Amino acid sequence: MQPVENAVIAVAGLGSRLGLGHPKCMLEFTGVTLLTRMIRMLEKYPLRIHVVVGYREDLIIDHCAHYHPQVVLVRNPEYRTTNTAYSLAMGAQYLNGKCVFLDGDLIVHPDSFRYFLQQASRSDVLVGLCQPNTEHAVYVNTEESANGLLVTGFTRNKRTRHEWANIFTGPSTLMNDAPNYVFEHLAKRLPLSGQMLDLAEVDTATDMQKAKLFVLKYGL
Amino acid sequence: METNRTVKRTAFCFDMDGTITKDELLPCIASEIGIAEEIGLLTKATINGYIDFEASFRLRCLLLGQINPEVVQAVVANVPLDEHLLDFIKERKEDCFILTGNLDIWISPILKRCGCKAFSSHGEYNNGKLQLTSILNKGRAVRHIRSELCYERLVAVGDGANDAAMLELADVGIAFGGVHAPAQAAVHASRYVVHDGDALCSLLRTL
Repeated sequence: MQPVENAVIAVAGLGSRLGLGHPKCMLEFTGVTLLTRMIRMLEKYPLRIHVVVGYREDLIIDHCAHYHPQVVLVRNPEYRTTNTAYSLAMGAQYLNGKCVFLDGDLIVHPDSFRYFLQQASRSDVLVGLCQPNTEHAVYVNTEESANGLLVTGFTRNKRTRHEWANIFTGPSTLMNDAPNYVFEHLAKRLPLSGQMLDLAEVDTATDMQKAKLFVLKYGL
Repeated sequence: METNRTVKRTAFCFDMDGTITKDELLPCIASEIGIAEEIGLLTKATINGYIDFEASFRLRCLLLGQINPEVVQAVVANVPLDEHLLDFIKERKEDCFILTGNLDIWISPILKRCGCKAFSSHGEYNNGKLQLTSILNKGRAVRHIRSELCYERLVAVGDGANDAAMLELADVGIAFGGVHAPAQAAVHASRYVVHDGDALCSLLRTL
């Protein structure tokens, strides 16, 4: 049983599908940014929080200076030519123990996150899953096992019962030297344990509307 | 479990004003002669890199040199320090270094509290008149610590434009916004940005 000790949030990307002119994590629903919502959720646990910034880092640094001075900001100046896996590896550098890795454009229901963290201590790597709900989903092939869901593959081509949630736990070295997408790097370790999460991801304008409804429905 | 941590002989280099101290020193000293606001403005412009550090420091020393050095030291002794950083430095005083453009003859009460080695600017009083004898070049001091004191790795913490060279040359640069937002030049020269002393020391202990 190894508990999760660190959280690494990647918010360095351009978020080009939405074309907001600012990072997606700075989107506000009911007056709260996605980043603040995520940090507040993580702060309920004894986690060291690292936020990896790149695109418009000034906005996020300023936001954290005012509202989240206790987080560590990790700079990825090469955000235009690197991917999320690279940012996550940067964010986890020097960290000891297990990490939860999160994309910063997610709104996660805190109850499901609590259960996810509990389950994370039972396996070396735990892959977050959700119900398919985004426009550019990566789907996950799963099997039922005695210990819960087992992830056996990732695919963009065929819709399955589960979508890749862009949250996972594992050792701090997990994303080191990952050349491609995060899920492609995880796929090298299959089969892996999986756990459902209740969340909304903001990738497109349609996703944004769904995310708003998600926030309102649960009063998050 | 695999770890991302590598242990090397590491030197920790700290800026002093606004990093270890919870206030900028020169405006505090300036309050003795009623020009705290003016010196504060000059200090802010210098931190942000709008004015060259050396020229600004010479000017500020010229203005503050008229204050009795014992009064200066009394003011400096009362400036609050970041307690988290002070604890960290005391824990590893052998491997911690203060790199400050401030004057050795003014800051000795703080150096005494920290107990670590320091590189600073130098000055002396001749017939009651302050004379600057040297101004610290932080980039040169960092190179000295690495090569002459034989450290494999350097971690640097600072907030101002005059810390940029030190942060750039360090293996791990940390822009610290404990008192005010770190200067853009300091941020751009750093890998990490931290705004809280406790979070900073937690990070330092991880590196």
